[in-house]
Amino acid sequence: MGLTFFVFLSSGLFLGWSLGANDAANVFGTAVGSRMLRFSTAAVVCAVFVTLGAVLSGAGTAHGLGQLGSVNAVGGAFTVALAAAVTVYGMTKAGLPVSTTQAIVGGILGWNLFSNTQTDLAVLTRILGTWVACPILGALFALVLYRVTERTIRVAKPHILWLDQWTRIGLLVAGALGAYSLGANNIPNVVGVFVPASPLGDLSVGGVFTLTGQQRLFLLGGLAIAVGAFFSRRVMMTVGKNIVTVGPVGGWVVVMAHSLVLFTFSSQGLQSLVTRLGLPSIPLVPVSSSQAVVGAVCGLALARGIKGARQINWSVLRNIALGWVATPAIAAVVSYLALYVVQNVFEQPVYRVTGL
Amino acid sequence: MAELKISPFRTTKILQAEIDEMLDVVSQAALAYKHGIDHYIRHGWEGTAEEKFEQICAFEERGDELRAKIGMALYTEMLLPDTSGDVLGLLRSLDRLLDDMQHSFVVVRIERPEIPSEFHEGLLECVSQAADTVEQVVVAARCYFRDPRTTRDHIHKIRFFEGETEKTAFRIIEQIFRSEMPLDRKLQLRGHVWLIDRVADRADDAGDALAIYAVKRSV
Repeated sequence: MGLTFFVFLSSGLFLGWSLGANDAANVFGTAVGSRMLRFSTAAVVCAVFVTLGAVLSGAGTAHGLGQLGSVNAVGGAFTVALAAAVTVYGMTKAGLPVSTTQAIVGGILGWNLFSNTQTDLAVLTRILGTWVACPILGALFALVLYRVTERTIRVAKPHILWLDQWTRIGLLVAGALGAYSLGANNIPNVVGVFVPASPLGDLSVGGVFTLTGQQRLFLLGGLAIAVGAFFSRRVMMTVGKNIVTVGPVGGWVVVMAHSLVLFTFSSQGLQSLVTRLGLPSIPLVPVSSSQAVVGAVCGLALARGIKGARQINWSVLRNIALGWVATPAIAAVVSYLALYVVQNVFEQPVYRVTGL
Repeated sequence: MAELKISPFRTTKILQAEIDEMLDVVSQAALAYKHGIDHYIRHGWEGTAEEKFEQICAFEERGDELRAKIGMALYTEMLLPDTSGDVLGLLRSLDRLLDDMQHSFVVVRIERPEIPSEFHEGLLECVSQAADTVEQVVVAARCYFRDPRTTRDHIHKIRFFEGETEKTAFRIIEQIFRSEMPLDRKLQLRGHVWLIDRVADRADDAGDALAIYAVKRSV
């Protein structure tokens, strides 16, 4: 069972690798593209913090995604992850905007349809709501951060060299927070579907601390994302050069806003704090890191007034909205067809009938 | 023996001190230039003029050193990746100002022109205005490094002083050519007035560049 599980897990790990290779650029692209940080420094920090985030704080979003559909056979989990990976790959090749989060949700919906499992519409609506909220929240965070940062710089009047130093440190800190939040928020996309079918049990590490079965799975997924981060140089340079027109300080605002969005949708501590204050609970579900960045860039442009708003390429926002519908729909169809093939051609169980 | 890097911000502190020193050097050179020429016009080439000339030469040499050191540090330490080109451009402009002030003084030292008393007042005014133009460049440059939004508050002063220098220079040249001096002396004096005016022109060019650099330094 052990070896078979790891063979099946390969599709999730591949998805993790591609997520690391792409989304690490959202975290450190500005810093590396603008030569404020070296790629090696960015990749190491990203790898460490993404793994920590996945292991220590991935449980919340995994639970949120699990509510949508609990893929209860490892063959099914493999197929859903593979369908998501194929969708991401195909749409990227076709030049269409795509998010791993939306692809995995589509994959689970495909599994729900195939296995005749009822989809909880309330959960689905909540997840869709967070997708819409993600870029909007990114824009709001960027707007506020821009105003605060601009005011602080205007009052403090730091020398250009000190501003450069503090921006470097800020980019490193924001990047570390972003990587941690990316790991915490996006780990269910990578290995979340394997949780119900995972045979991994608790593991005591030298009697110092214990890793739960889920944490062990998340560690593997986190390491896959971490390895992917080391392959993200080219994407980082592309993203960095696109965003660098806003300048290193503006870049810090974007990265910080993006990190805060991911943190908001993955922190159990923040969720319980918000609930204790009597405010509406924040759903802990995976959101798109790329869309958070696009939202933040738009927020930064809007903060500059009409001149900035004119610079926004509104077709990018239209494409994001298109992705909310197209990606899960395509992934659901791919997942459904793949599950059919795996079950009927390769004769692998893709779901277990429960409740009988 | 190699120095120990105790503070992670050591390079930044050193570089900031060097940039500040470069601005001080240009400012002091402008004062030395003004006082030196002033003294020559009033008293001829005596001790003070020679002393100011030596000061300007020392400032020019130090300016070259600082510019090279700052440029090297910016590239080797990968500092200011987005604005290092502008900072180096500004330092080049400041260095040219030092060169022009030294050049103008060198020509006076070599030629020792005789200046009739009726031109003293105009020439003193022209030198003073040229030095003021340089001073305003230094003030604007200091703003660029700390508070780029206020840079343009000084750019218009640079333009004003440059315009005044030019007007004064034309007025003197006109007076020179209307005088009864022989043509060779007229041409010689005109050359000196042009050299003073060139200092202000170069300062104006630096101001134009600074205005663009300051706009680029928005968040």
